[in-house]
Amino acid sequence: MDKDKKILLAPLDPVHDIGLKIMNRALKENGYETILLPPDYQPEEIIKSALENKVGAVLVSRTLGYGVAELLSKFIDQAEAVGLREHVKIAIGGMGIRVELAQELGYDAGFGPGTVPEQVIAFIEEREPKLDLSGAIKSKKNITDGYDYVYGNKKIEALLDKIAEETLAWASTKTSKAVLRAELRRKLMDLPDGPEKDAAKQEYIQLSDEKIRNFYQNGTMPPYTRPLSDHEMSELAKYVKTTKDRMRMKKLQKVEENPTVFIQYGTGCPFMDVAHIKVGESWGADGVVHFDPSWGARTEGFLEGYLTHEQDGTIISPENLQVIKASLEPSTLWQVRAHRGLNTPETVLLAGKIGADMTKINIAYGSLGGGTDPARLTVDGIQCMKYAKEFSMPFDVVTNEELCGVPAAKAFAGMLTTAHIAIKLGCRPVLQPLFVYSPEVMITGEMEDNYVDFNAAKIKALRSIIDAPIWPGAPIGFLTQTEDRVQSSLSTAMHGALASSLGVEAISIASSDEAYSGGPIAGPSRIDTLTAVKEAFRFFGGAGIKPTEAADTMAEKIVAGIIDTLEKAAECESFAEALYAGIYGSTAEGAYPGRGGKDSLMDQ
Amino acid sequence: METCLKKVMDAVDIETFFVCKDEEEGRDLALKLLEKFGLKDTDIVFIEHSGAGARVRARGYLYRAGDQYAWLEGDK
Repeated sequence: MDKDKKILLAPLDPVHDIGLKIMNRALKENGYETILLPPDYQPEEIIKSALENKVGAVLVSRTLGYGVAELLSKFIDQAEAVGLREHVKIAIGGMGIRVELAQELGYDAGFGPGTVPEQVIAFIEEREPKLDLSGAIKSKKNITDGYDYVYGNKKIEALLDKIAEETLAWASTKTSKAVLRAELRRKLMDLPDGPEKDAAKQEYIQLSDEKIRNFYQNGTMPPYTRPLSDHEMSELAKYVKTTKDRMRMKKLQKVEENPTVFIQYGTGCPFMDVAHIKVGESWGADGVVHFDPSWGARTEGFLEGYLTHEQDGTIISPENLQVIKASLEPSTLWQVRAHRGLNTPETVLLAGKIGADMTKINIAYGSLGGGTDPARLTVDGIQCMKYAKEFSMPFDVVTNEELCGVPAAKAFAGMLTTAHIAIKLGCRPVLQPLFVYSPEVMITGEMEDNYVDFNAAKIKALRSIIDAPIWPGAPIGFLTQTEDRVQSSLSTAMHGALASSLGVEAISIASSDEAYSGGPIAGPSRIDTLTAVKEAFRFFGGAGIKPTEAADTMAEKIVAGIIDTLEKAAECESFAEALYAGIYGSTAEGAYPGRGGKDSLMDQ
Repeated sequence: METCLKKVMDAVDIETFFVCKDEEEGRDLALKLLEKFGLKDTDIVFIEHSGAGARVRARGYLYRAGDQYAWLEGDK
């Protein structure tokens, strides 16, 4: 259209004209002369104005939904009756407009919700719109950057120093099958085919449980497990390529302070995991966390090959991890968990060699709530930390023993002890306090009034102790969500907003299927919570949530509880001994020292 | 399998509101509705009855972990 002709913008609506005002500004910026009528004009008044001003185009808008069809029909009929349509473009847009309806009624164009000015200008100029379809530009973030791990609470630092030094000395004379297997795995990955590699494989098999030995020696698959066929692998490669080619990623964060958002996967099948990861990436997830099957944690040794599993948790094998790694977008953070079980050192080694960005290491939770023997997990955990250092992989330390009933203060003491051992070994741990409705607070009633104060108290307490990154989880809002996807998504979003308000580095979120136990998580349920968190970040922006004064009292109580726990632990010979003794959580509180790998340590 | 179902990643959810006397009736209606759509591996993800009827979210799984997924076949 010729730019010397004016464009008439008219709200065919009693009050709403925001969209047209935005369009008016965009048209002026593009060199058009415009006439913007106020709301509540009748069709004949708008048409009269169009004729008098000899405009080249009329853009009418409608926000309200009721009576739209009749009104639009009346307008276009009158425009036609006076001959306006013959030489003037007429388009309709706004929240109440459906593009199909505009076309049916004979408008030259219809613009529904979500239209950007470029689309309307392109219509006027009779060309294709130049839209940016690239999606958000995201970069991978190291969530430990900027933290110096300096203690603000020197008393706690001194206690942790004593426990960590004694524990490292205690562990230095011990090893385990898992530690030995991890080094054999390194050989299996690094050595060329030949006798040395064959010998390493045989040694690996001998250090594994019967279930694993049967797999290597007789080809027997564990229950509910099958190898993926060459055809399936080929189809997956095509699916990943196609999906990557058309990938557009949303960005959840509105302001710099909004945390990095992780989702968890572990459907049992690496293919379905990849599909869910691609859904998560598309809708804004910044990172993904690998969940393995619980039986894998109770078995000495890993399987090999491309394997699918019919139950929760995706089998860790070098090949499965490689498939998942290959599917990730360059900006996606990838965490492989090694926080409990009998294969933790090998898990961290595999994660490092295959290119994970983060891992998860834990001694207290893995022992008290994860079913692994404390002594075994202390020795294995220290080896994990050495690998994490070697591969420059930060890792989080969870406090999931709270879900067993252990008070937050004791769980935090366990987290800080594990983290301090890691710091001594040159690692960069991330503190992962639960941001949930724990059994402890259900009993004590500290969340009776709100879900804000106790969670805020946890962050305040940790911030007063050490300058370290904090990544609440996992997932945030756990035990507050129900099977109602609206409630579940809203609860997740509120916890996300609170976490952001408290300035944490990252959060792990569940899907809206979190509380549903009747079947696997469905892909769309991941979109529910990612969208909800994005909306919460948009809603609060740089504004915050203000806890009540009770949060300060709760934080002081948590710090006092941590000191009390560490003072008792410091009297023990090692971290492991304190874990057996119930100092970091007793059986009465729901913490049971695990039996997986009990009495399995060997002298170096 | 119908072409449109082949493109479903994992499950079909149907959300609706049944005018019914209680949760049990709503549950039965939802499962029958899924059956009408030809879905077999079905469950009620969420149901809440209050006065006027039941808000329900019912699900039929097309695939579970370890199955062979038709969407991997692409546009063939």
